[in-house]
Amino acid sequence: MTAPLDLSPDAPEEEVAAAAERWLHENLPPAWLKAVLDGDTETIAAHRADAEGMRAWFALLGDSGLATPSWPREHGGLGLSAEQAGAISDVLLRYSADHDSPAFIGRGLAGPTILVHGTEEQKRQHLPGIRRGEVQWCQLFSEPGAGSDLASLATRAERQADGTWLVNGQKVWNSYAHFADWGILMARTDPARPKHRGISYFLVDMRTPGVQPRPLRQMNGDAEFNEVFLDDVVLPADALLGGLNDGWAVGITTLMQERNGLSGRPGVGPGKGEELARLAARTGTWADPLLRDRLLGYLVEERVLQMTTVRAFVETGTGPVGAEGSIRKLISSWLQEQAGVLAAEADPVGVLGRPAGTPLNPSAHDFLSMKQTSIAGGTSEIQRNIIAERLLGLPKDPDPEKDVPFNQRSRG
Amino acid sequence: MEFTWTPEQQDLRASTRRLLQQRAPLPRARELAEAGTRHDPQLWTALAQQIGLQGLALPEEHGGSGGSLVELAVVFEEMGRVLFGGPFLPTVLAAEALVASGDAAAQAEHLPAVAEGERTATLAVAGAGGRWRADGTTAQGSGDGVRLTGVKELVLDGADADLLLVLARGGRGPSLYAVAAGAEGLEAERLDPLDLTRPLARLHLRDTPARLVGEDGGGAAVLAHVQRTAAVLLAAEQVGAMSALVEMTAEHARTRRAFGRPIGAFQGVKHRLADMAVRLEMSRSAAYWAAWQPPGSPDAAMGAAVAGSYCSESFLQTAKDTIQLHGGTGFTWEHDAHLFLRRARADATLAGSPAEHRAALVPLVLPELAEVPA
Repeated sequence: MTAPLDLSPDAPEEEVAAAAERWLHENLPPAWLKAVLDGDTETIAAHRADAEGMRAWFALLGDSGLATPSWPREHGGLGLSAEQAGAISDVLLRYSADHDSPAFIGRGLAGPTILVHGTEEQKRQHLPGIRRGEVQWCQLFSEPGAGSDLASLATRAERQADGTWLVNGQKVWNSYAHFADWGILMARTDPARPKHRGISYFLVDMRTPGVQPRPLRQMNGDAEFNEVFLDDVVLPADALLGGLNDGWAVGITTLMQERNGLSGRPGVGPGKGEELARLAARTGTWADPLLRDRLLGYLVEERVLQMTTVRAFVETGTGPVGAEGSIRKLISSWLQEQAGVLAAEADPVGVLGRPAGTPLNPSAHDFLSMKQTSIAGGTSEIQRNIIAERLLGLPKDPDPEKDVPFNQRSRG
Repeated sequence: MEFTWTPEQQDLRASTRRLLQQRAPLPRARELAEAGTRHDPQLWTALAQQIGLQGLALPEEHGGSGGSLVELAVVFEEMGRVLFGGPFLPTVLAAEALVASGDAAAQAEHLPAVAEGERTATLAVAGAGGRWRADGTTAQGSGDGVRLTGVKELVLDGADADLLLVLARGGRGPSLYAVAAGAEGLEAERLDPLDLTRPLARLHLRDTPARLVGEDGGGAAVLAHVQRTAAVLLAAEQVGAMSALVEMTAEHARTRRAFGRPIGAFQGVKHRLADMAVRLEMSRSAAYWAAWQPPGSPDAAMGAAVAGSYCSESFLQTAKDTIQLHGGTGFTWEHDAHLFLRRARADATLAGSPAEHRAALVPLVLPELAEVPA
C-alpha cells in the first residue's frame, strides 16, 4: 500500500498537478503510461476494460489520496481545496486514470455526506471502500409519489423494540442500483410530524433481504435507472446517518454536493455544437441555410454555457451551489433538448430507420434522450422556482401542507 | 484570468456608477430623448476630466490611460444600466479605428483631443443594407486631394460629431477616410431615430474633401477588428440594460398585487422572470469572457461573435418580457420599457446582426465546413 501524497494545503495548483503527474509516472502500469504518452487509445481502452487490473489500480489510486483529494487526511484524502482537487482531476483525466461515472455516487455524494454527518464508526466503515473504489453506491431518494416534492416521500422506517429499523416502500430513478453494494436512503420515521421534519437518512446494505432493484427501461432504450422495492427490510440501529428525524438536512448536504473538485477545471472549446454541424455536413443538410443558422445558434448557446461555468468556477469557488447552479442546469436541459431536435433534423433519413438488429444510431439516441436533463435532478420548473425565489426574491410557491402532520395531509 | 477583477476595475465601476447615478440617471436619458437633445456637454467634460472615460483605452502616448477592453466593458455596462447615449459609443469606436489603422499622424491629430473630451467622432461605415461595407461610396484622387461621393447609413451622432471616419472604395479597395464636420459637399441628414437615446444621421457625400486614414485598401481589416470591439462593448452595455430591466421587473412582481397576492407568486410571472435572469447571467458571462481574450486572438474573434449573437437577442427578448410583465403600464409612453425595447432593436443592427455574428463563427470553429455553399 502506498502512503498518501504529501502536499501542502497552500501549494499552488501547478505544483499540485505536477505532483500528481509525477505520481502517475511512477505508479501507472508501464504499458498504460506508454499508451497515454503515445496517444494509443486502443491500448488504453484495453487496460480500462480489464476489471481485475482496474480494481488494483483504483485501490492504489485511492491509497495515494488522489481519488479523494478534498477529503481530510485522517480519512485518506489530501486535505486540498476544490481548486487544487480540480487540478488533480484534470491530470487524471489526461492519463485516463480516473474513476468511471458510477463511482460518482460514492465519491461525490455518499462519501461527503458521511464525512459531514457520520459517526467515527460509520466513517471508518464506509470511507475506505469509497476511496478505493471497492464499493458501488446508489441513491434511494425519489419515489413514484415524491419527485419534485421530495419531502412528501412515504417510504416508512419504523424503529423496533430491539433498536433495528423495519423499512417498507418503493424508490425510483435509482442509477446503478442493480449492481450497487450500498445505498443512501431517505425514509419517514415520524409521520405525525410535518413532512420535512419526520424524515431520517440511512445507509443501506443493498444485499439486505427484502431489497429488490428492478431495472427501469427508458424511452431511449437505456436502462441506467432502477426502481427499488423495499419489503420488510430490517436495518441495524447504526444504519441511521445523522439525527433521528433530521434526514431532510442530511439529504440537503447530499444534494448540494456538486462542486467537489471531481470534475476538473472547466474550459471553453469544441462541444456538441461542432458534432451536430459535422453530422449535418455528412448528410448534406448543412447546405440548408435555415438549419445551418439554428445549428450555429446551438453552438453559441453551448459556448455561453461553458463561459458561465468558467465564471462560476472563479466566482463561487468552493462555495455552495446556489441559484447559479440552477441557471446552468436549466440551460443544459434546454441544450440537450435542442440537440435532440437538431440531430434529428441534421440526419433526417438515418433517424427514422436503421439496419435491422443494429443498436440505436446516435441521432435517434439524441432525439429520444432530449427530455432527460429537464426532468432528472430537479425539473426545469423547480429550477425556475429556485432562481426566482433565491436570486430575485419572489414569493415562494405556496405549500398548504408544509406545516401539516404528514399523516393528516390530503392524498394526491 | 477571466472573471478575476482587479481592485482598479472595481473602483472604475464604482466611480462610473456614482457619476452616472448623480448626473445621468435613467430619467435624464428620457429627458434628453424627449427634448431631442444630443447630450449634456458639462457631463461630457466631467466624464473626460474626472474619470477619463473617453481616453480609457487609448494609448498613453496620446493622452489615454492604456486600459483594456475589460475596463471599457465595465464602463459600457454601467452606461447600459441608465441608457446613456449620445456621442460616447461612436467616439470610442472611431478612436478604436484610428488606433487600429496604425496611422500615427491621424492618431496624433485626433486622439489627444478625444481623450480630453474636446472632440467627438463617429464611424460612417454602413452601406445601404446596413452592413459595414464601402458599397456605393467611392474615393477619387490621392494625398490631400481625395474626394468622397456616396451615401452612408446609420451614422451615430452623424449630424454633430466633429470627426467622421468614412468607409469608401479607394484605388486599392475599401479604405477609411477622415472627413471634418461641415466639410464642403457633406450633408448630414438628421433622422428621427427608433432608439431615442442615440442620435442618427444619413450622410450624403458629394465630392467631399477627405484624408486617407491608414493604408489604401486597409479599411476592411481595420473595421473587422473594430466591429468585434463594437460587438463586445454593445454586449456589455446590453448586460447593464438587462440588469436594470430584471431589477425593475422583479421589483414590480414583488409589489404589484392581483388576486390577493403579489403577481410574482404566480408561476406564469415567476418563471418568465427566472428566464430573464438566466439570459442576463449568461449574457454577462459571454460579454466579459469575450472582453478578457487577448486582442486579435482567435478566441477574441470567437468570443465577440458569440457575445454579438447571444447578448443582442437576449436583450430584445428581455425588453419584450419586461413590457409583458408590466401589463398595460408597460405599453405606455411614460414607462421606461419602450426606451429599452428601442435600444435593443437598434443594437441588433449597429455592429452586425446576430445572424451575421453566427455566420462569422463558421471559419473560426468549423473551418472545414466554411467552403460548403449554403
